Amino acid sequence: MKESDIDGILQSAPVPEGPRSETLQSIAAAIRGSLRPVRPLPAPWLLTAGLVFVSATIALAAAAHAGFDGIEKMAPWERALIFIPLGAFAVVAAKTFVRTMIPGSRRRLSAGALLALCTLSLLGAFALSFRDYQIDHFVSAGFACLVTGLLHAFPAGLLAWFLLRRGFAVNAIAAGLAAGTLAGLVGLGVLELHCVNFQAAHVLVWHTAVVPLSGALGATCAAVGQWIRRLATR
Amino acid sequence: MQPDEDIERLMARYQQGDFAAASALIDRVSPQLFRFFAAQTFSRPDADDLLQETWLRIHKVRHTWRPGEPALPWFYAIARHIRVDHYRKSLRTATGERKLEAMAASSPLAPQPADQADQIAALLAPLSAGEREVLEMLKIAGMSLEEVAGATSSSVGSVKQKVHRAYKKLRRTLSLAQKGGRL
Repeated sequence: MKESDIDGILQSAPVPEGPRSETLQSIAAAIRGSLRPVRPLPAPWLLTAGLVFVSATIALAAAAHAGFDGIEKMAPWERALIFIPLGAFAVVAAKTFVRTMIPGSRRRLSAGALLALCTLSLLGAFALSFRDYQIDHFVSAGFACLVTGLLHAFPAGLLAWFLLRRGFAVNAIAAGLAAGTLAGLVGLGVLELHCVNFQAAHVLVWHTAVVPLSGALGATCAAVGQWIRRLATR
Repeated sequence: MQPDEDIERLMARYQQGDFAAASALIDRVSPQLFRFFAAQTFSRPDADDLLQETWLRIHKVRHTWRPGEPALPWFYAIARHIRVDHYRKSLRTATGERKLEAMAASSPLAPQPADQADQIAALLAPLSAGEREVLEMLKIAGMSLEEVAGATSSSVGSVKQKVHRAYKKLRRTLSLAQKGGRL
């Protein structure tokens, strides 16, 4: 049996009766009372640009406050190897987040795949850049960096949600994951600009961990928000 | 109002607060959404409820549609969200395994004589929920692969894969039915 035969069967099969006219009338009546002009969301590219701008501003402002010691200590090739992918991933994460907040947007990369891609690629870039294999103060120094990264990711995530508050996520967890990933990249950016600890293990474990942890926190917050909303509407 | 005015133009006017456009849009899109719910294993009263819930949500988030973009994937993305929400709610409210078993037994996922009037539902019954919704949008609602990908928040490749699997299953089912002399 050919595909066209199946298409023919599907198209010629009788369809169920449509909705009752009373249902349609009650829908129309329900929306009539609150029908007023609305302003459509801005263009996706504008929202993406806004998110990237906010993210870059937070990362640069935090690094300016703490000092650009890390980037100053890096060789030019190390700066390129780290900051070019970091910037590119921030743009992709912002785009993905915008898509998750506009129903019907085509998805090129799922939020989970984005997080995995960011984490693995940055691990690769760090492994190529940092060759000091000592592990002095691994936990104490590492934990401090992780907390710093997450503390900077938090306002970035909040501002990202604020910027897209008029959007509607058909998949809230995917939206939370994308927003968390973007915020995590901001936190990681602050660490790379400021932290002068170039020990490979420190950067690979504690710096990189900011991205997946922030992503997971974003998804958790979205799931909790969804659960609270459901409880409220019960 | 033009009788053949396209959905996008009606949607733009709906965003501007035009009630006539909103009513026309409800009349135009509701049968498709209703069919989508009905084909997705829900009973007629359920499909009616879901349709109303979908329109209330559409009304609340109508600003998220952007003029110039296709409207059908936007409508279906919201309808799909409502359907998933409804499915989760029904799972939560079903207490105990026995009740869940009873639900599964009464679900039109398996072809039932009572639903034979709805031949589309019966034809699509052997497919998974994902395959069914993709086929419904593509072949019955007449959406493009890109539009279906938008409505289901997936890639075109994933949509193609689901369609391929759906055709494989349908081919098998229809061949068996032909051999048995049922078609």
